[in-house]
Amino acid sequence: MKYEYLPWLILFLPLLSVAVITLFTLRSKTVSSLISIGAVATGFVMTLLFINANGFQFSGELPCNWLSIGEAPGGLQIDFGLKLDALSMMMLLVVTGVGGAIHIYSFGYMHEDRSRARFFAFMSLFTFSMLGIVLANNFLMMFIFWELVGVSSYLLIGFWFEKPSAGDAAKKAFITNRLGDFGFLAGILMVWGLLGSLNFGVLQTSLAANTVTLGASATLAGLLVFCGAMGKSAQFPLHVWLPDAMEGPTPVSALIHAATMVAAGVYMLCRIFFLLNADALHAIAYIGGFTALLAALMAVQQNDIKRIIAYSTLSQLGYMVMTVGLNGPTPAMFHLTTHAFFKALLFLGAGSVIIGMHHEQDIWQMGNLRKKMPVTFLTFTIGTLALCGVPPFSGFYSKDAILAQALKQNNHLLFGVGVFVAALTTFYTFRLFFVVFFGKEKSKAAAHAHESPLVMTLPLIALAAFAFAGGFIGIMNNYGSQFVAGHEQLSMAQQASEPFKNIFPMVCGLGAVAVGLLLAFSLYKNADTDPLPAKLGGLATAMKNKFYFDELYEATFIRAHDFIAEVADWMDRWILEGAIIGTIRGGTDLGGRALRLAQTGNLQTYAFLFVLGVALVLYFVLGK
Amino acid sequence: MSILTYIAGWPLLAALLLAVVPRNYRVILRAIAVLATLIPAVLAVKMFAQFVPGANGYQFEQQIPWVESLGISYHVGVDGLNVGLILMGAIVAFAAALCSWEIQTREKEFYILLLVMTGGILGAFASLDLFFFYFLHELALVPTFIMIGVWGRGEKKNYATFQITLYLSIGALIALIGLIALYLQSGANTFDIPKIIEHAKANPLAASAQNFIFPLLLFGFGILVSLWPFHSWAPLGYGVAPSPTAMLHAGVLKKFGLYGLIRIALPLLPQAAQSWAQVIAWLCVGNILYVGWVAMRQRDLNLLVGNSSVAHMGFIFLGIASLNIIGVTGAVLIMIAHGFLAALTFALSGYIYQQTGTLQISELGGLCRKLPFIGTALLMAAMAGCGLPGFANFAGEATVFFGAWVKFPAITIIALWGALVIGGVYMTRAIRNVLHGPLPEKWNSLADAANAWRKLPYALLLASLLIFGFAPKLLTDKINPDAEKILNQAAPIKLVAHTATSGARN
Repeated sequence: MKYEYLPWLILFLPLLSVAVITLFTLRSKTVSSLISIGAVATGFVMTLLFINANGFQFSGELPCNWLSIGEAPGGLQIDFGLKLDALSMMMLLVVTGVGGAIHIYSFGYMHEDRSRARFFAFMSLFTFSMLGIVLANNFLMMFIFWELVGVSSYLLIGFWFEKPSAGDAAKKAFITNRLGDFGFLAGILMVWGLLGSLNFGVLQTSLAANTVTLGASATLAGLLVFCGAMGKSAQFPLHVWLPDAMEGPTPVSALIHAATMVAAGVYMLCRIFFLLNADALHAIAYIGGFTALLAALMAVQQNDIKRIIAYSTLSQLGYMVMTVGLNGPTPAMFHLTTHAFFKALLFLGAGSVIIGMHHEQDIWQMGNLRKKMPVTFLTFTIGTLALCGVPPFSGFYSKDAILAQALKQNNHLLFGVGVFVAALTTFYTFRLFFVVFFGKEKSKAAAHAHESPLVMTLPLIALAAFAFAGGFIGIMNNYGSQFVAGHEQLSMAQQASEPFKNIFPMVCGLGAVAVGLLLAFSLYKNADTDPLPAKLGGLATAMKNKFYFDELYEATFIRAHDFIAEVADWMDRWILEGAIIGTIRGGTDLGGRALRLAQTGNLQTYAFLFVLGVALVLYFVLGK
Repeated sequence: MSILTYIAGWPLLAALLLAVVPRNYRVILRAIAVLATLIPAVLAVKMFAQFVPGANGYQFEQQIPWVESLGISYHVGVDGLNVGLILMGAIVAFAAALCSWEIQTREKEFYILLLVMTGGILGAFASLDLFFFYFLHELALVPTFIMIGVWGRGEKKNYATFQITLYLSIGALIALIGLIALYLQSGANTFDIPKIIEHAKANPLAASAQNFIFPLLLFGFGILVSLWPFHSWAPLGYGVAPSPTAMLHAGVLKKFGLYGLIRIALPLLPQAAQSWAQVIAWLCVGNILYVGWVAMRQRDLNLLVGNSSVAHMGFIFLGIASLNIIGVTGAVLIMIAHGFLAALTFALSGYIYQQTGTLQISELGGLCRKLPFIGTALLMAAMAGCGLPGFANFAGEATVFFGAWVKFPAITIIALWGALVIGGVYMTRAIRNVLHGPLPEKWNSLADAANAWRKLPYALLLASLLIFGFAPKLLTDKINPDAEKILNQAAPIKLVAHTATSGARN
């Protein structure tokens, strides 16, 4: 392996940026932002250099001991090591590349904010943590960075902490993620207990020799580890935090809650794919499919431009998780990558619209923005087409790979879900698209909207290029080489024509897009208000209220936990403290009273006791 | 003379010196106190750096015979178990002295007591003689009561002083009975801890004696450490204590009981430790889960922090109960990490109290805007408190979980819930209500820590947490060999991770 020091630099540069910003440059907004942008951009260049020198088809580890207690069998060895292979290389490119574009965009988006230096310190902290997840070579290191992305997401969601809603959303995201992490860490302990190691490579080898003996515990361990993915990738039933996370600044939504962090769950599942047995995969596939469906339905009736895209993210994450469960880490990672391009693009486009609209987020206040914001409109169109899966945009290829995988596994139910969700996706995406960019201006702000500056539109253009071409630039090749032995490397033309090898899923996918598009066109072209609630009635209300999951959790889990806490507090105050203190106090009191009986004040009694004492002492000393 | 003698001796000498300084020389009083804690801190860093991990026997040892007929001698020395504790104690004492600017009345007496407390507890940690080990702890403990009684705050001051004095005196008394019984039963006729251990290797204590003495030590020391259900003195006591006292007691003094269990009970009473391990493990569920729930309900920041500190003790007990090298190493690691963290949180809440005059959570809010430095430090402390990686607490807790998983998988799962979920809930709630949200108008005049001098104690404690969080190896490599020595007495059968599946489930 050449340039072994580069991965370490890529990982630690953002941390250095955090340290420098917090310790020295908090007062200078511009310097701080440039340091942060510089860290991630340098990381991107170094990743390119490293890949250029080593290629994708290699696999290596750079180990370094972090903590070690006891000898190998039974002892605890935790490394701080980097795992370098096609999977982590591709993710490095996504994190530093897409992340870099978003950092640059943030320079424009956050220009007016008084706490810009703090913002960029948090962004660098996030980049560091995410790179750590990508490069981790063992479970505990992954968990460490897993927690760190959680906290950077917490800090960034709550960036405008004076807003009560932002503070609440940050708290909710943190706690929901912690629920998942609880399972994750339990799973890690279990895997360690069963196999005696934390290192992915060692585990894979020892598991290959051990599959039969583990049986049910392997399923349990796999599902516990999956809990971590459920939290981070917001899978049902832990999906509730992601829409609220939109309280953070829009670049944060693009970076963390679309392109990278929420995808970490999917990445982790692919990283530990060897650990998941058939039963665990089965459960994972259905949870993913259900999340995809549920979130797509919720998205149909949202009116906040960012929330629509957030639900769409949930739904697409469901797709990816489902695909992992369908034994297809390659298409899952493929979709993760293209999704990072087009969803970051859509969020940044939405951010551009929000800035152009002077911080208005309700799509029913917008309209006809295509004339006022041409670059945003054009790039947003590309993002929309990619998300819906229109050929030849990148989403078409990755979604087709997913549908083909479902069919290959003979899972017709999930194939049906996939097609239906594709139709829903097209429907709600074009609903947003028509209402925001077409029709007439629905408010004064829309009439006076303006295009964003170049520092914001350039990243949009860069991402749009990848959202367009992502399907045939070799992404599938690189992931394939990781997961499938002897994976065939396809040329660009072969990649572009790959879906035509398997016509049926492609036709189903395209049919779904056509249906969704037609419906959206007939309902929302030139619409001033949403015609759907009248047609769907109660269903629309339920969709709008996210099927009441927040209320349900509030009424059950949260209330129950608070109740238990209240009981514990009451017991502590009145029973434990009262009883123990009471006993000691009473005992002392009683002792005092008893001793007082001896203190008669009568000299003769004292003299008698004294003599008695002397007699006793003499008896013990002399008498024996 | 050993460096340890200097570390514990300077504060005690300075306390004597303070007694003759006139009380209106306030700057001099303060300067002496700060200097007398700075020197031990610097010496402790030096000692920590020079310490050789895994060396045979004790390092920086010194022994002066005193009462030869009873076998009492002044004997100090460090191995991996106490080297980190002394470092932590000295740094926390320095930070506490720096934070004492909040004391405005009777400063002279306050600084004298603070220095006695510092010298006492550092000496207790360094002692290898049962007599001094116990005596120096008592020397440190008594000033705590006085400080809370005289300089305490709030309406519940008297009740809290009464409760903490009662509890801790009884705890110390029970432990004393246990130690005397141990002295008599061991038959070594010496108070020298290494000699007793050596003697016990050849002539182990009878099982009946072990089973009689162990609970005395467990509950005696346990009360000092707020082991459930003997914990209610802690949150209340810390709630009213002046912050330097709370910092020193919660951070340093409280670790004495745990240290005593590991240093004395585990090697001398190995069989009893085995049979009581299950009990300790279940009691620590009380700390982690039950006290965690109690913390969720607190409406006063100091009570919340105090309860959370009690909950953290549960992880240490869990590590001890696991009776394997991973768990015990993790336990010592948390003892050190928690020392820094408890000191940090009480220092910060003390600052906020100083500024606002209240710690009622409902009264506060949005403080991050007016107090960026203190707010950020509090946020980091809260995150360290709910086990965020990067802070030393995570390294310790994770290690304890691995150690405990081998022996008590079910209890480990409960502990995970307490660490990740309950801890996360009350810490983020506190942040949301204290630091986030709109700033009430009445707090518009709050002032942040003004200069580097004022920021120093917080920065020092945070830096310690981060250094040991990033490189726990600095501690584990030192703790590990000596934890193994202790356990070779306690658990002759070496526990192997793989047994988790076969039979060791509870």
